[in-house]
Amino acid sequence: MNGLSLFLDVNESAAVDYFPIAVQLIFAVGFVVTMIAVSAWAGPKRKTSDKLETFTSGIATHGDARQPMAVKYFLVAILFVLFDVEVIFFYPYAVNFRALGWDGFYAVLMFVAFFLAGFIYIIKKGALDWEG
Amino acid sequence: MPIEYYIFLSLALFSIGIVGVLTRRNAIVVFMCIELMLNAVNLLLVAFSKMYYAMAVVNNSATTFGTDGQLFVFFIMVVAAAEVSVGLAIIVMMYRNTHSVDINFLNRLKN
Amino acid sequence: MNAIILSAIAGVVMMFSGIFSKNKHALTNTAIAGLLILLIGNILDTYHVYTITVNTHDMLHFDKFGASFNSIAIGATLLYVLLSGRDIEKVGVNVAEYYALVFFALCGISLLSSFNSLLILFLGVEIMSIPLYILTGADKKNLKGNEASLKYFLMGAFSTGIMLMGIALLYGATGNFEINPSQSLINVPLTHGILGPLGLLFIFISLSFKVSAAPFHFWTPDVYDGAPSVFTSFMATIIKSAGFIAFIRLFSSRSEDLEVSWQVILPLVIVATLLIGNITAVFQQSVKRMLAYSSIAQAGFMLFALYGSNDLAREGIILYATAYSLATIGIFAILIRMKDYTFDGYNGLAKKQPLLAFVNTVFLLSLAGIPLTAGFFAKYYMLASAIKEGGHSALWLVIVALLFAAVSVYYYFRVIQAMYFKDGEAEMSETNKGFRILLVIIACIIILIGIYPSLLLDRLYF
Repeated sequence: MNGLSLFLDVNESAAVDYFPIAVQLIFAVGFVVTMIAVSAWAGPKRKTSDKLETFTSGIATHGDARQPMAVKYFLVAILFVLFDVEVIFFYPYAVNFRALGWDGFYAVLMFVAFFLAGFIYIIKKGALDWEG
Repeated sequence: MPIEYYIFLSLALFSIGIVGVLTRRNAIVVFMCIELMLNAVNLLLVAFSKMYYAMAVVNNSATTFGTDGQLFVFFIMVVAAAEVSVGLAIIVMMYRNTHSVDINFLNRLKN
Repeated sequence: MNAIILSAIAGVVMMFSGIFSKNKHALTNTAIAGLLILLIGNILDTYHVYTITVNTHDMLHFDKFGASFNSIAIGATLLYVLLSGRDIEKVGVNVAEYYALVFFALCGISLLSSFNSLLILFLGVEIMSIPLYILTGADKKNLKGNEASLKYFLMGAFSTGIMLMGIALLYGATGNFEINPSQSLINVPLTHGILGPLGLLFIFISLSFKVSAAPFHFWTPDVYDGAPSVFTSFMATIIKSAGFIAFIRLFSSRSEDLEVSWQVILPLVIVATLLIGNITAVFQQSVKRMLAYSSIAQAGFMLFALYGSNDLAREGIILYATAYSLATIGIFAILIRMKDYTFDGYNGLAKKQPLLAFVNTVFLLSLAGIPLTAGFFAKYYMLASAIKEGGHSALWLVIVALLFAAVSVYYYFRVIQAMYFKDGEAEMSETNKGFRILLVIIACIIILIGIYPSLLLDRLYF
């Protein structure tokens, strides 16, 4: 009971108890804002091309990050999305593995067979050949 | 939470999706709006499923009433993935020919 | 069940045969063999001779109506491949995949003709549509094809989203996805007030997209025009009829709650579809585009089956699907061989190819609904079902439909006029003997059904 009453006491604390925290928050935010503002206002400004460049740990940048990627990447990404999501059916089966019995097993076996057929198909078609 | 909240939320998401499909010009964004519509439906189905389960469990604690709604969501996800793969393939195909995914380009068919 | 399983297996077999064989003719022959097996399997299924039975937990409901439609769809596809197989081979390099996709679309169709749960409706529509998005863009270098494909895909996915919202709302209203198995209708107490009717409205809108009924038809001409002509033929006939079968299975008997709003919305949609389809078709210069608009107009007539929704309508839609599919497949088979797709391209065809011009005339007359062709009885059954259901209140709708049928005669006869009464050099790629014999057989079937429709309709009952 003691612990519970202590718990209740804490809960019944008034808004006044949060005053120091509020003061600390205001001070922290105010300090940060002031420092940034003052340094931006008082500091010297020299904009050179080196400074405006993206910082890459000293290695010279080259090209745009948004250059077109090889179409093969999209192909693999698309195939990944498909095979990734199809696994959605395995989870409910795994959860109800015992309850579904042999019928469920045959159904999943058929599902995997279709799955495998698709997989063999894309391999035979050479969709996963990076080099070719 | 009352079921009305879920209905309003998913109808709002669904409407955002519809407006996006009708107004945006970038094929990928239109596509994302369609996905938003599908996910609004998923949310609604799961909410209804929970609602029916809660209603049935009062009388019978071993009920499975309402699970079919959640199963439907699985199928929507899988079909959406199949649709995504076909759609992305079509968009990539178009990009290779026109170097753009803007559907304002789609007016060559209007004589 | 045979049709569903066999078509899925045939699709996979086609996929792999493309890896092992590069001979395009051999692939076409494989597809024809597959379609024959599918047709035989489905006919056996219809008469319960040999059936694969799977416990579907009442999600599928097999009846004569669905099985007959399957036979028609598979048979029409068989004729289509026999007629246009050579042209499918010319579209691109992945011939095996095109056939595989056709088989997968047939799998979706056989789901749609037997669904008993909204889940199967959703899966059927998707399995039918997704292969078509790919087939539309089969000609990868053709910009028009790319556009058509993207447009079809975005519109199709959009309408799927709307359908799913409708299904979710119906689920909220009823607590399950079942459609009443005995009468195959949504006849459930719509307890949650607005949710049920709103859900039905959403599904109605989405299916209207799929069958290109009026306010939602705008994608049709562009997509049909941009897609490779061979695949337009498939889309405009078999797929469109399948959409109507799904429509009728779902709404075949409306629940009383919806009667009032239904009586307002459906006639509006029918009239708008007939108006837009027929009037716009009049102004087209390209036969291919004219056929796209005429397919919208024909959809307006098929919607009468929904308005009537009695036994007459069920017979009628089977008849209509047959008449329309056969005639359109025939017209497209000839159109694909033409050098020039405009009306002027047909000038003087009768002098150069009298036989082809004659069968083309039969097909066009059937589409226009002239007596002694199958199209006449198809339209007759549609209108009769509406009269039987609605009585005098349906009379004005029937009169409007007849007026538009008269308008449709104009643009169908423009092709006939060009073929017979105009001088010109209609250029056409060579046709072999089998092609012409097959076209004559299709024309004979159309005339035979036009004289004895009971030949087909009796199959529905025994």
